[in-house]
Amino acid sequence: MTSVTRREFLTGCSAAIAAMAGAKLNLTVFGSALEEPNQQILVNIFLRGGCDALNIIPPIAGDDRGYYEAARPNLKIGTSGEGSAIPLNSQFGIHPAAASLADLYQANKLAVVQAVGLHEDTRSHFDAMEYMESGTPGYKGSNNGWITRHLLSADKLSGDPLIPVVALGTQRPTSLQGNLDTLVVSRLDRFQLSYGHWKWREAQRFSLRKLYNGSSAVQVAGLEALNALDIIELQDFSGYVPANGAVYPDGSFGDQLKSLAQIIKLQLGLRIVTIDLGGWDTHRSQGDGAGGYFAGLLGQLADGLSAFYTDLDTQYTKRLTVSVMSEFGRRFRQNADRGTDHGHGCIMLILGGEVNGGLYGQWPGLHNDQLYDGADLAVTTDYRQVLSEILIRRYENPNLGIVFPGYKDYAPLGIVQGPDIPPNYEGWPNPPGTEHTYMPLIRARF
Amino acid sequence: MKQAAVGSQHQQSTNALPSVGVIALNRMGFGPRPGDLGAFYDLGSTAEERLSNYVEQQLHPQDINDSELDGRVTAAGFETLNKSLVQSWQDHIVNNTQGYSYRILPYRETERLTFFRAVYSRRQLVQVLADFWHNHFNVYGLDYYVAPVFMHYDREIIRKHLLGNFREMLEAVTKSTPMLTYLDNYTNSDDGPNENFSRELFELQTMGAKNYLGVISQEDVPGYPGQPIGYVDDDVYEAARCFTGWTIRNSSSDPVIGNTGEFYYRSDWHDRFQKHILGTKVDADQADLVDGQQVLDLLTDHPGTASHIAEKLCRRFISDNPPQSIVDSTAELFYAQRHSPSQLKKVMRHLLNSVEFRTTWGAKTKRPFEVIVSACRACAIDFTFSVSDGDSSTFFWLYDQIGQPLFGRRPPDGYPDKKENWLNTSTMVSRWQLLNWLITVEDDLGNLRIDVVGQTPANVRSSIALVDFWLNRILGRSIDPAERQHLIDFMAQGHNPNLDLPLDSDENIQTRLGSMVGLILLSPEFQWR
Repeated sequence: MTSVTRREFLTGCSAAIAAMAGAKLNLTVFGSALEEPNQQILVNIFLRGGCDALNIIPPIAGDDRGYYEAARPNLKIGTSGEGSAIPLNSQFGIHPAAASLADLYQANKLAVVQAVGLHEDTRSHFDAMEYMESGTPGYKGSNNGWITRHLLSADKLSGDPLIPVVALGTQRPTSLQGNLDTLVVSRLDRFQLSYGHWKWREAQRFSLRKLYNGSSAVQVAGLEALNALDIIELQDFSGYVPANGAVYPDGSFGDQLKSLAQIIKLQLGLRIVTIDLGGWDTHRSQGDGAGGYFAGLLGQLADGLSAFYTDLDTQYTKRLTVSVMSEFGRRFRQNADRGTDHGHGCIMLILGGEVNGGLYGQWPGLHNDQLYDGADLAVTTDYRQVLSEILIRRYENPNLGIVFPGYKDYAPLGIVQGPDIPPNYEGWPNPPGTEHTYMPLIRARF
Repeated sequence: MKQAAVGSQHQQSTNALPSVGVIALNRMGFGPRPGDLGAFYDLGSTAEERLSNYVEQQLHPQDINDSELDGRVTAAGFETLNKSLVQSWQDHIVNNTQGYSYRILPYRETERLTFFRAVYSRRQLVQVLADFWHNHFNVYGLDYYVAPVFMHYDREIIRKHLLGNFREMLEAVTKSTPMLTYLDNYTNSDDGPNENFSRELFELQTMGAKNYLGVISQEDVPGYPGQPIGYVDDDVYEAARCFTGWTIRNSSSDPVIGNTGEFYYRSDWHDRFQKHILGTKVDADQADLVDGQQVLDLLTDHPGTASHIAEKLCRRFISDNPPQSIVDSTAELFYAQRHSPSQLKKVMRHLLNSVEFRTTWGAKTKRPFEVIVSACRACAIDFTFSVSDGDSSTFFWLYDQIGQPLFGRRPPDGYPDKKENWLNTSTMVSRWQLLNWLITVEDDLGNLRIDVVGQTPANVRSSIALVDFWLNRILGRSIDPAERQHLIDFMAQGHNPNLDLPLDSDENIQTRLGSMVGLILLSPEFQWR
């Protein structure tokens, strides 16, 4: 079995490069799953817009049910009859559009963290996303993301993979700001250079590689693109058959997950994937009960995740952790337009083969006195606590002081399996004369 | 091999400062067309004089002959070009029987028209400013009620005020049908307040997020009540109350309201009680519209608004991280001139004549729109941006993949304006795709839309001469000798680069030249501004 490291690939100094010409059908050319037993894959899905967590995991009994029904006369998810919530336990259910997630929950592969989010006082999308993704709540402008710093500080990452990080979309998310190894791609199956006069296409590619051999920001991005093209172009995306009869939902989210599963199976050493799923800013006509706009969006998310998990549930789910988060939840009371305004506490979903399924987090309650600012579900769990557990137990990276500067209160919730290493709260020193840089300005990768 | 795979401190373009003409044409406009640099040079005897004269020309767009653009737009035959708001509403919503594509036609034609103008208009500053203010007052162009009236929004709300007064523009936007519907204020009533618009009014359109102090009480803001340094959530809610009843005429059943799509103030929806905003009392029972207008006044009179907008303008025109000196002086002028009918013209004159503007290069990269438009301009493309033909469909399909579809930003913040947002594997590959397509696309008669061979002078035939001619044409400046050599190597393909190539007779050489010109467009140097 031949294995190509990133360094070898980029410098073209491995004999294994030659084997790549025939790699289209032989997808194991880069090594087998067993050769990277500790290689964890984190797929971080960000629901842009602030998702209405209270309608994904609604209360189905007790006083909170009464408050919920009163606050959301038109939006509430029922507890009996068609379109009612699927019970997760005696107190909470899950939206019927997410039935496929209920199955994963019952199989103990899905954890739901309730009332989770930022402790910062903001109802701004842009502030909240920046705080969360920078990993520096209360401070904007760190210029690098929490995932970037995780990848830099994790000592247990093995190998030198060809494609360590994929961001599905047209933009590198803030959580990966500063990570120039990221393959940003909206559709893997359309990632190609196919225009220009056919006769000069190869020669042009040859010259491009020379023109982009430099250190300017444009050149770094261009060279990364050329390297990624060399790998992605070899794959046959249209002929891909998902495993275990998995059926991905129609639409771009399903398509993205499907080609992602294919890339994961190539064993390229993928470590981190980010996916943006937008459209959650439901100020108006979000739909009620089991139907309408919100249900459609949630169904896409749930069915996509379910298919993805099923497809990878051969040897891959043991190494896979999917986390789903949003910048905030929405207002407890519906507004006059049958929508919901910006709120506070939200949920996180954690899915994976080594996840301990169940409900997590302290439920703060929905009585007026229990609401944040008299209006929103409170935050009782810091989102950093959940992510830190994944970093420590799955990636064996205890360097929380670097990933989440200033965060000091880590204790595992028990969501995922793995060793408990004492957290290290020591951060990187700031360069002289600066504050809050959180990262050395230059840190060589090789 | 790159040494630092990580870091926010990207190196800038390494080349020396180009001529002021290159700077001005690339940052006050979408890059030079053939002849533009020479015309700029003829505007004076010193760099400052040329720049100053060019800025004055561009600040008086009505005096610039734009007949080439006008001819192309007329030939394209856009149907919605001059439709009023009411006409658009009637044709594309109320009486529309032709389905979705006709409903959104005003948006679709504006998208095409915007490309026409950016590529062919000589009023370049206007086009850059239109792009800036569309992003500042971003609405999603395909939103349900936005698309049918989008041409009107572009013409009467955005473009009408570009060189005018910010406060007037702000009120025009606030009352516009696209903004009222996109951010839901058209449903904002006493009974059911909707804060969506008010929040973005503070956070994005006026004071900016840096002046947002979060969920604390108004009294706790430093400077309260005389001059609070920032705003808090309660200011947003109180402002939302002020804008209750600011809605549109969209009733098919109530003849008093009507269904014309126009702005309409519903006093029965208005919260008439007193409010407190930014330390100022808004009286109860004021006349129609006064509450909301007072909010716009308070925001315009807050220095935070001036500094927020000055910083954005300087970021757009000078650098991703503009020097504080020019931000401060621009903000001061913006603030001092806030009541002037030509406030924005004065602000632009100051900014564009500044030392910071004319001595900064390579502190920004082109966004996808600028990459593609500047390529079309540099190569003198002959292209019709039509709503119907196949080439246009391909063009826009490829263009949208790069990640900046025009008026296609769903969140209200507009497209980001720093290079790190636009430099990644996806945007690089997809821009290369469209640039290469432009080089090879032919018209209905089989002629290349970019006539590379025809534009090359007869005495330019060696590989070196061909590369130098097209480098000068496209970039107007010298580049790193090693990069120039790569281009020469491509053109010569192993032959002596000093020898003339049979460009006029050999199709091989013609397509090779096209690919070489494409390579310049794909090269790192072309991406800087």
